Amino acid sequence: MEISHSVKERTIAENSLVILLQGIHGHVTTVDLRDESTALGRITNVDAFMNIRLAEVTFTDRQGRVSQLDDLFVTGRNVRYVHIPDEVDIKATVEKQLQLIHKVRYFGGRDKGRKEFPTARHK
Amino acid sequence: MIFGCYQHGLDQMTDMKQQTTNTVEEPLDLIRLSLDERIYVKMRNDRELRGRLHAYDQHLNMILGDVEETVTTIEIDEETYEEIYKSTKRNIPMLFVRGDGVVLVAPPLRVG
Repeated sequence: MEISHSVKERTIAENSLVILLQGIHGHVTTVDLRDESTALGRITNVDAFMNIRLAEVTFTDRQGRVSQLDDLFVTGRNVRYVHIPDEVDIKATVEKQLQLIHKVRYFGGRDKGRKEFPTARHK
Repeated sequence: MIFGCYQHGLDQMTDMKQQTTNTVEEPLDLIRLSLDERIYVKMRNDRELRGRLHAYDQHLNMILGDVEETVTTIEIDEETYEEIYKSTKRNIPMLFVRGDGVVLVAPPLRVG
């Protein structure tokens, strides 16, 4: 639910489907990795590069060995699939995340605060 | 900085005001035509997906619903050396697919 503090990450997230993954923070999902292992756990953070942090994870490796992990960090490149839980409303989640980004962007009002996209006048 | 760039596929989902065009100009627009339709996706590592396309983006990250994944493996018989094709299927209600695994996207293949 937390928006990244980085302008670059906000822009990347806003223009791709990663924003959906950022909206399902807190949900329990299965992440299938590129090397055929799977991680079932609660998503605590997803960044613009699809790096995923999970908590309370049941990790099944390629050979099928199961282990319990308190915390798991998966590099974005190593993600193959993320199972979206049934209770998630995709459209609403994406809209909510976009709204949060807009709130951060226009913080301070029209004429106050540092502008994320300067108008031509200020260039 | 890119300002006001349009989001493929997401606009139809979110109805947010973005620039969209209804003509087919680039290959990604062809995928836009398949939104909410069933599609066939060929992926790396001999995988195939068949499901309903809910959303996609410029990286070909996709959200597929009611998806069936087929994994095909080839086993070589030790004695006869013949290739045995085995496929494993599983069904997933809603799947987010990372775009770098996608090889091609097409309408579902009609068998026979």
